Amino acid sequence: MKKLIYLLLIAVVAASCGSGGGKTAKNKQVTLSAAGATFPQPFYNLAFKKYNEEGGPVINYGGIGSGGGIKSLHDQVVDFGATDAYLSDAEMAEMPAEVVHIPTCIGAVVIAYNLPGVTGLKLTPELLEGIFLGDITKWNDKKLADTNPGISLPDMNITVVYRSDGSGTTYIFSDYMSKVSPKWNGTLGTGKALNWPAGIGAKGNPGVAGTISQSQGSIGYIGFEYANAQKIPMALLQNGAGNYVEPALESFTAAADGEIPADTRIMITNSQNPDAYPITSFTWIILYKEQAYRKRSAETAAATVNTVKWLTGTNAQAIATSVHYASLPQKAAEQAAVLLSKITFNGVPVLK
Amino acid sequence: METVLKDNIARRNRSNRQFLWLIIAGAVITVIPIFLIVGNLAVKGYHQINVAFFTEPSPDTFQAMTAAVNGEVIPGGIANGLTGSLLMVLAACLIAIPLGLMSGIYLYENGNTRYSRFIRSLTEILQGVPSIILGIIAYLWVVRNITRGYSALAGSMALTVMMLPLIIRSTEETMKMIPITIREAAFALGVPYYKMIIKVLIPVSLSGLATGVLLALSRILGETAPLMLTALGSPAVSLDITKPVSAVPLLIWEFYNDPNMVNLVWSASLFLMVFVLSLNLLSRSISAKHKYI
Amino acid sequence: MNGDRVTKTILFGSSLAILILSAGIVFSLTGGAIPVFKEFGPGFITSSSWNPTTGSEEYGAMPFIAGTVMTSLIALILCIPMAFSTSLFIAEYYKGTRTAGILRSLVDLLAGVPSIVYGFWGFYALRPLLVKTGLTDQGFGIFTASLILAIMIVPYATSLSSEIISLVPSELKEAAYSLGATRREVIFNVVIPAARSGIVASFILALGRALGETMAVTMLIGNANIIPKGLFSPGNTMASVIANQFGEADGLKMSALIAIGLILFAITALVNAAGKFIIKLFA
Repeated sequence: MKKLIYLLLIAVVAASCGSGGGKTAKNKQVTLSAAGATFPQPFYNLAFKKYNEEGGPVINYGGIGSGGGIKSLHDQVVDFGATDAYLSDAEMAEMPAEVVHIPTCIGAVVIAYNLPGVTGLKLTPELLEGIFLGDITKWNDKKLADTNPGISLPDMNITVVYRSDGSGTTYIFSDYMSKVSPKWNGTLGTGKALNWPAGIGAKGNPGVAGTISQSQGSIGYIGFEYANAQKIPMALLQNGAGNYVEPALESFTAAADGEIPADTRIMITNSQNPDAYPITSFTWIILYKEQAYRKRSAETAAATVNTVKWLTGTNAQAIATSVHYASLPQKAAEQAAVLLSKITFNGVPVLK
Repeated sequence: METVLKDNIARRNRSNRQFLWLIIAGAVITVIPIFLIVGNLAVKGYHQINVAFFTEPSPDTFQAMTAAVNGEVIPGGIANGLTGSLLMVLAACLIAIPLGLMSGIYLYENGNTRYSRFIRSLTEILQGVPSIILGIIAYLWVVRNITRGYSALAGSMALTVMMLPLIIRSTEETMKMIPITIREAAFALGVPYYKMIIKVLIPVSLSGLATGVLLALSRILGETAPLMLTALGSPAVSLDITKPVSAVPLLIWEFYNDPNMVNLVWSASLFLMVFVLSLNLLSRSISAKHKYI
Repeated sequence: MNGDRVTKTILFGSSLAILILSAGIVFSLTGGAIPVFKEFGPGFITSSSWNPTTGSEEYGAMPFIAGTVMTSLIALILCIPMAFSTSLFIAEYYKGTRTAGILRSLVDLLAGVPSIVYGFWGFYALRPLLVKTGLTDQGFGIFTASLILAIMIVPYATSLSSEIISLVPSELKEAAYSLGATRREVIFNVVIPAARSGIVASFILALGRALGETMAVTMLIGNANIIPKGLFSPGNTMASVIANQFGEADGLKMSALIAIGLILFAITALVNAAGKFIIKLFA
């Protein structure tokens, strides 16, 4: 017995100090690591896998949250990071070197609810403000009934469910609410974690989704894929143009068709496009503009930039839509390509 | 006189029996949750476990989604988590077990010095540190400074720190219960110190030591938070200790967070539990061979 | 003789590991906590406001301290009868029998359940049960969290104390039996006093585990950053808020979270000191 254990130990130690490539690693030279937002993780994992099958490197992606991704990039312990909220000017100043934002896809935050027998609920910004700030407490409140004449709303308490952990989803939702509600802007503001006046907190998108689907009379904000996968009813929201829009990939892409700055740092919530779903946002990959830092090799830099380039290319974008993420509109993809071409290694552009 | 005695005996016997029933009831209530939990896991996770579960790495969300839509079993498995967990746990044991054993023996041998009491207190405090803080510390020390990147080494460092206090304390407590005569007999025969430890002290207390190591292992096998900040996770089956690896609890967390893969949570958790139980049974059979007391 | 000295030095050296580790952890934690104490002073510990909104940030640790203390103590109280009866069952009444072996394995199984799974099970199974009893509205709260904590810490209390109880020398027990004592009397007057310090140690071990438990608690406690108003009110614990917020925190907020970690560290130390005091009372 003992001998067996010793042999096993020696074998494992030898193997781990040795090559250490994975079964799926075709490109034995390079393994990349990345960390960041959980929101695009299903898409990234699938995309990286396909890229590896086409000959790309193995990419280890950890969904530790946008803040974790930013921290990891700042500490230079990953090749690139992923975040739902772009870096503010202050955060950019704290980075050791210039950081580039590349948008990779579009996602949306939906308002999910649990009312037996009720579908097609319509909500306006005022209603959202009232519900989430705790002013409207009953489902059959007059204001709700006025906006939804065809639906019979029950006499039930409204239970608000919010994110207890810091999250990009909260950031996107609060960014939209701050734009459409001065009261919200003055009290809760925009941020990854807020001082919610009413309701209960649940951890992560699955926590909120699970809570909503288990508690009658509850309402909360979650990422689109979660409501979709677990078939939770989503509300139609009134957008900037006054139309009630259903959450769907087309309406997300429509929200992104406005002007996009050269560095792609823009929140596209509350789009004025008549077909746009109002609570939409890009998600970005962040990496350093100058890739020759901390003894990085030219190969690693090339692999990194090529991976991100592939992510914004047509193949990857098709993968995105297949798992219910909205693909980048033309303008955003073009901006991304321009930014990528400016990434250098020791001053020389990486992409030829 | 006699009547008083008889009444007393009757009452004492009655309370004796009542107490026995109380104990049995308490024990039964204690184990009810385990049946509920295992039952839940088994029912929900059973159909996901097949050969592929052990040999294939985790599926991606698309495969899971199509399988869910078609009502099929989700393809793929937890192979990457298995190898990652194995790697990190072995590395952690390599350090934690000898170190913990020796520290425990030191504390036992030098029971009441001020230094020993101080170390003992520190050990207890260290035990109470939430695993996420240890993850943060491992991130700061290892990920940032040693491996310059997320790695299995960082993960195993965090796990080592979690195992150490448990091993030290159970070592010391177990050794305290060994009759001092055994130890003194060895010394009387002129056995050198290290030999006494290896050939007398440890074998005699093996069952208690095994329990301690097992408790430590069960504790770390299910830990997620620190591994998120240190091992990061990986889709590949890899044994490279300087690179990110996956781990079974990490996979469970990833499955939970992916809208399409939630159902894999139950099978992975079921597996983890069965594994821990096997560890228990294994240790019990080892210590049964060596039980002196 | 020299060999002995070498052995002794090696042993001493390994004990230093704990010292270096603890010192390092305290050092790192304190360094990270300084900014928030500079900003709010020692009042941070007793303040109960928690406002992460940029521009009007205000942090206080009291809600989490209260939540942690409440849940851990209640969990311990709920755990003691369960652990006690189980360890007596295993180590006294049915010692050595197959039933005891099975029971011990079952209890060890409890320890093997990852805390996430406890969280899932608590969320999907325990919570609806509690809602049915009508004691609580949505099922989130201090009591639910304490209940799941109690279940989680039972194996720690049980395995160590049953090990200790089983090691009580038979001569002591047989002496009592020969004097005509009933089983119960032997337990209360001989076994428990003999194993006293070990039993208390096992409960302190369990309490320490409860103080630091994160995942299961965070899924059931309702995550309200307030001082709990009652047994069934939602609240939050120190470990839970750190796990929830650390990934996205930076600047002052991260410092606040690290400070909370430091406070948790300190409370664990206090609990251990108190435990030692109690053990001394008993010994």
